[in-house]
Amino acid sequence: MFETSSQSPAPVRLVSEAIKDYIDRLGPIWIEGEISELNERSGGMAFIRLRDTSADMSISVMCYKTVLASVQPLPANARVVIYAKPSWFTKNGSLTLSAKEIRHVGVGELLARLEALKEKLAAEGLFSADRKIALPRLPRKVGLICGRNTDAEKDVVENARRRWPAVQFEIREVAVQGAAAVVEVSAALAELEANSEVDVIIITRGGGSFEDLLPFSDESLVRLASECTTAIVSAIGHEKDAPLLDYVADYRASTPTDAAKRVVPDIAQEISDIEKIRDRIYRRLLSTIDYELNQIAQLRNRPVMKDPGLMVTARRDEIKALRDRSMRSFTSILEIEKKELKGVKAHLRSLSPQSTMERGYAVVQFADGGIVRDATKLKAGTALRIRVAKGETGATVTD
Amino acid sequence: MATKSEKPSYEEARDELAEIVESLEDGSATLEESLTLWERGEVLAKICQEWLDGAKKLIDAAKKPAQ
Repeated sequence: MFETSSQSPAPVRLVSEAIKDYIDRLGPIWIEGEISELNERSGGMAFIRLRDTSADMSISVMCYKTVLASVQPLPANARVVIYAKPSWFTKNGSLTLSAKEIRHVGVGELLARLEALKEKLAAEGLFSADRKIALPRLPRKVGLICGRNTDAEKDVVENARRRWPAVQFEIREVAVQGAAAVVEVSAALAELEANSEVDVIIITRGGGSFEDLLPFSDESLVRLASECTTAIVSAIGHEKDAPLLDYVADYRASTPTDAAKRVVPDIAQEISDIEKIRDRIYRRLLSTIDYELNQIAQLRNRPVMKDPGLMVTARRDEIKALRDRSMRSFTSILEIEKKELKGVKAHLRSLSPQSTMERGYAVVQFADGGIVRDATKLKAGTALRIRVAKGETGATVTD
Repeated sequence: MATKSEKPSYEEARDELAEIVESLEDGSATLEESLTLWERGEVLAKICQEWLDGAKKLIDAAKKPAQ
């Protein structure tokens, strides 16, 4: 532009005129944002603060009221597309876009854009079931991103405490609507994601207009949420609302209360479940023990165990039986022998010479007992024994 | 069967007791063997009873504070 130094500085007017010169050469452009402030001053001009929908940046826009009239009435935070030329005001050194045309980006168009974005993200697989992270059964800390002093915050905190009194929250109160919402929710999400103690993050806000909920369909926020390794529960608006965050969240809660139910277990239910399980264990153990006690009792009651004397008595009986048997058999042997003896005696008697001698015969024997059968064997002087029926006597041969 | 110098487990004791009762009932053991078996059986029966009574007491004790 021009040479300046501390010795020869340029006056404000020159600098400002030079900037104006430069900016005036810029042509008109189409620009999109949302109207965060609107001032219709007396006179023909209106002043607008146009904010970016994702980043915390804004720019001032001015136009003739007639230009604005074509789109009025506008809802709060209306999305608009403006055809404008940058202008530099030398009087106060400010840059403003001079709008020649303003178009309201209506709900229909936003919906169509959301639908297109939804399809694009779905095609990238951001909503696929295998990307879903299971919610922890009992998180160490619950991250909570919500508006300041909102019912949504109270609902989550109170319901979670009721279910699990020891639940610990990391609460980030942020703007949940308007242009700041995307920036603040994203920052809080990134911070809680980085906190290793936070095992689940709830993002919640109450119901609102379609446009109020738009930040939760912002592409950058949705992508950030899809990349989080911490489980995310979304509870945005009412049942009918379906911001894109719902599709990448690991669980879509219908209400803040539902979100609270999902992130912590119900302590009363847990205690009762544990009691039931313990009861089942006890019953099972006791029945096993009773069964075994019965087994042991049966073994102990068997005669061999209960009455050890049986060991001895059984054997004593055995011995007695044997003795009896032996006595019996011995007696019968004796009888038999006795009879036999009688027979032998009778027989013996029948063979004896006694009866013959009773009739008067005598038996003559040599001294050695030999019986004299041949008289020629006798000499005078031979000693003899003569046996008669009654007694015996000695004799000597005389001739 | 292995020598039982240490206190056997419940199942070991029970199974051995059942075996002893069986051999006593089948009557093939000598008197001296039978006496030894019976004595061992008594010891085992006592061990089993102790195990079970102890287990029952433990469970009763555990149950009380819970209710």
